[in-house]
Amino acid sequence: MAGISWHYVLKFIITGDAAVGKSSLLVRLTDQRFLANPDPTLGVEFGSKLITIPEENKIVKLQCWDTAGTESFRSITRSYYRGAAGCLLVYDVTNRTTFESCRTWLADVREHADPHLTCILVGNKVDLCASEDGDAPRRREVPAEEGERFAQEEGLLFVEASAKSGENVQEAFERAARDILAKIQQGVFGDDRSPGVKTSRPTNNNLTLDQAGSNGRCCT
Amino acid sequence: MEFLSQTYVALRGPTGAPQTALDTISRLSDRLSPSTLLADRRASVLSLKGLARDHKRDVGERAIPGLLEVLQNDAELDADIGKAVLDTLNHLCDTEEGSTEVKELGFKHTDRVLADEKATHKLFALLAADQTFYTRFGALQFLSTLLRNRRQIVQSYFLTAVAGPAGIIAVLEDRREIIRNEAITMLQSLISQSPEIQKVLTFEGAFERLFNIITTEGGIDGGIVVQDALLCVDGLLRFNASNQSYFRETPMAVVLLSLLQFPPNLPTHEPAPQQFALQFWDTQKGQNAGLVIGIIGMLVATKGANSGDLSPFTRCLLEMALASNAPSTLKTQSLRLLPINQSLPLSDILVTTYIPVPETNGEEWDRLEPTTALDALVELILNGEYSGLHSTRRDKEALELRATAAGVFESFVGQNDIRLLILQAMIPSEDGSAPPPVTPLLQFLATPPTSPLNPASVVSTQLAAILFAHLLRNSFRAKTLARSIKPPGAGFDAGQGSFFVPADGQAPAPPQPSEDEDDSPQTLIQLLNEHLSLALLSRSHASSSDREAREWDRLVTAYLTLLSQWLWEDSKAVREFLDAGGLGILVEPVNQTSESDVLVPGLCALLLGICYEFNREPGEVTRATIHPILNRLGIDALMGRITRLREDERLKAVSPESTVLPYPTSPHSQPGLKPETTGEAEVWFDWPFVDFLKSNYYTIQRGIRADPNSLSSSAGQTPETEILVASLKEMMRNQSQEIESLQSKLKTVLTEKEQERKALEVQISQLTSDIQAANEKRQDVEKEQEDLLVLLDELSSKRRRDKDRLREAGLEVSEDEGDEDEGEDE
Repeated sequence: MAGISWHYVLKFIITGDAAVGKSSLLVRLTDQRFLANPDPTLGVEFGSKLITIPEENKIVKLQCWDTAGTESFRSITRSYYRGAAGCLLVYDVTNRTTFESCRTWLADVREHADPHLTCILVGNKVDLCASEDGDAPRRREVPAEEGERFAQEEGLLFVEASAKSGENVQEAFERAARDILAKIQQGVFGDDRSPGVKTSRPTNNNLTLDQAGSNGRCCT
Repeated sequence: MEFLSQTYVALRGPTGAPQTALDTISRLSDRLSPSTLLADRRASVLSLKGLARDHKRDVGERAIPGLLEVLQNDAELDADIGKAVLDTLNHLCDTEEGSTEVKELGFKHTDRVLADEKATHKLFALLAADQTFYTRFGALQFLSTLLRNRRQIVQSYFLTAVAGPAGIIAVLEDRREIIRNEAITMLQSLISQSPEIQKVLTFEGAFERLFNIITTEGGIDGGIVVQDALLCVDGLLRFNASNQSYFRETPMAVVLLSLLQFPPNLPTHEPAPQQFALQFWDTQKGQNAGLVIGIIGMLVATKGANSGDLSPFTRCLLEMALASNAPSTLKTQSLRLLPINQSLPLSDILVTTYIPVPETNGEEWDRLEPTTALDALVELILNGEYSGLHSTRRDKEALELRATAAGVFESFVGQNDIRLLILQAMIPSEDGSAPPPVTPLLQFLATPPTSPLNPASVVSTQLAAILFAHLLRNSFRAKTLARSIKPPGAGFDAGQGSFFVPADGQAPAPPQPSEDEDDSPQTLIQLLNEHLSLALLSRSHASSSDREAREWDRLVTAYLTLLSQWLWEDSKAVREFLDAGGLGILVEPVNQTSESDVLVPGLCALLLGICYEFNREPGEVTRATIHPILNRLGIDALMGRITRLREDERLKAVSPESTVLPYPTSPHSQPGLKPETTGEAEVWFDWPFVDFLKSNYYTIQRGIRADPNSLSSSAGQTPETEILVASLKEMMRNQSQEIESLQSKLKTVLTEKEQERKALEVQISQLTSDIQAANEKRQDVEKEQEDLLVLLDELSSKRRRDKDRLREAGLEVSEDEGDEDEGEDE
């Protein structure tokens, strides 16, 4: 069990419309493979990954909860917003409706989540717009500039990615993680004040850190 | 109280006439509306609480909407009314006590409370927001009741409750023990069968809270609270892959090992520490540890791919089962949970076992030399726990442990290579220099039964037979190897602990001691044959005691099941068995007419059938010899024996999970048998044999009917494949004949050639010498000729001189010759 050497544990949620590729992004991150034709996620699924942020010299453990995009699970998935430090808001660049729904998703997240939550807008499936494939490329319906603009207006990070090719997937998580680490440095999250962030001294892998985490919240 | 009486006075009305309860309830219910004063509402609730005890139906009918409203509006503001309304509602919905009618009412009221999600949401909100003891406690109890009655509805409401997860976490963190314990109880049913709730709570940190409780309560030494908390952990993880992958990566997975005192970072070559191996155990600790082991087993089972190294979890289970003083049930559980695959290095890892020092009541222990885990496992199976110290234990736990261990052994030797290695180790080395090894397993099979029977050795022999069958089953190569095993001087004691009791001194050791055939010990089949015959004989003499007869029956069963599985599809082994006189041994029990005894005749008939079916090697006893014997016994009678065997309770009760049966199973057949100790159990068959029997009895029955000249109809072959096999065999026979004839032809041709060559060689040498002789002769002749020529020359010159002289002398000389000569000379 020597694998538990991390400085921070960050809880992430992945959200967005159905079939924009949330589960595929997560599987690409954790298993480095492309999940073709997955079944729709029921409720939530968990996946985790250790990443290194070299400039901070920190090892970060990402705990990701991949939520269902289907409306019927909305009430269940909301329960996860509150405890998250980071959020991947995903849309499909070849499907305008999924981009437009982002406004609603964002409102939902802002309503339920920690105000300091870091949110990154991810335009997925850019591989479909590249035309080198034999089959006719699907038309891009959301230009990158538009996504960028929306992200700026709302104060979100922005990246376009592809779970199929792997392009920018890890980068998306890393950028969000860097942002959160910066917030921690600035003291925004204080000492374990957010349930989405846990710190650790890597050698100390006992229950004490959980107790520390709980002490901060027991009088809410 | 003043309030109460005032209310009553007010309600009684001006007439003073006694009111019916229904009237009172209606009025009290009306007073629950928000328009009245809080104090009035409080009084009404308290009154209704009292009335609910005797008038559950009426209060439920009238008051529930009002009470729910009070719950919604007042419970949080006023602790007293909160407590009262929660108690009343809880009582109305209670279905635990009373007649079925009252229980029905409870369900009906529950349905009214759960008609919409508001009440449930409020309850969770109270948990999250209200610190008041009675409010929290009442809400938890009420939720427990609702969950008990209509779990799925409450669960679906929980998922939509904004405060749901936070409420649960809050009560799990409550410092007041009663609240916390009540929360754990409620949590168990809340998470039951709902993966979504399990995941939400995992996200909110339920594991961390539960482990906090477990560690602060003293780990597995803690009481029932720890048990309940562990049940929650188990409930959150079981059948929930998402939560398992979360949990496995948290430090808490390692805490599980620490709870059992097992060091998580123990290097493979280091022994487990004593504080893990030797602990004081009581019932509660056993139950807590059992839950921890269950969770570890779950993590181990789903570990999957990366099982290259022995994980500390697997090691912990292994040590727990083989080298600790944990209760037998925990050891059995650990063995069941061991992930059996070939990467489990049973024969590489060393374990250090302990045995209790006698008379110290388990407080002092002797440490034994480290052995491999495989040896420790076999030792446990054959001798029981603590090196045979408890080998006479016949209770269910002890036998269950040994039978489960035998199951682990079976899975371990599932791979052909491993069983061949084990068998190879039993075979004497080829040059015969080293003494043939005596493994404990072989020892028990080779040791003849002694009369009177030692009950402990019956179990050991049974289990040894089962283990040996595991080594042979379905492997032709293993059976071939096993045929060459010759246990050395079966009788002598190879130091097998306190176990092997030479009851009558050395004398009865091998039935036919090595006097006649000093240098060739018997093969295992021959030995088994003899032991079987001896056991059958002793059994018929042991009729004085039913109990002893049953012991002999079990021993006979052990030998017969092993032989059946060995001889199946192994015609060479059948040959050996028949040559050793096996036929005669089997015929007698089949022929006996006892009605009460089903097992032994049935098994004998089965083995007889196998012998007939697979008697395919040439030898003294052929199929044609056996056939008339089968006919004399009666084909139908044999069928009947096998069918009745299959119907025997002792066989039918065996399943893959349970081998150990209560003593005596099918008690009606022998009413005189009583268990000697409470919980006495017995083992007759293991599942692989039952499975073997079920899949093959039909082939055997059909084989018994078959003509002695018919072809073998081995298991599982369809007519088509049989025909195919037959035609292929035919073809092979033809081809081999052809090859044979060609070979002989080739041989004759070769010898002819050889002879010819030899003759020629002789001729050549003859000729060479001839030539040489001729050459020599010629040379002689040539030389002679030369000499003659020289002589001739000399003569001619002399003649010329003579002629010249003659001519000088004026004598006439013939010219012609001289001319010629001169012409030649020139």
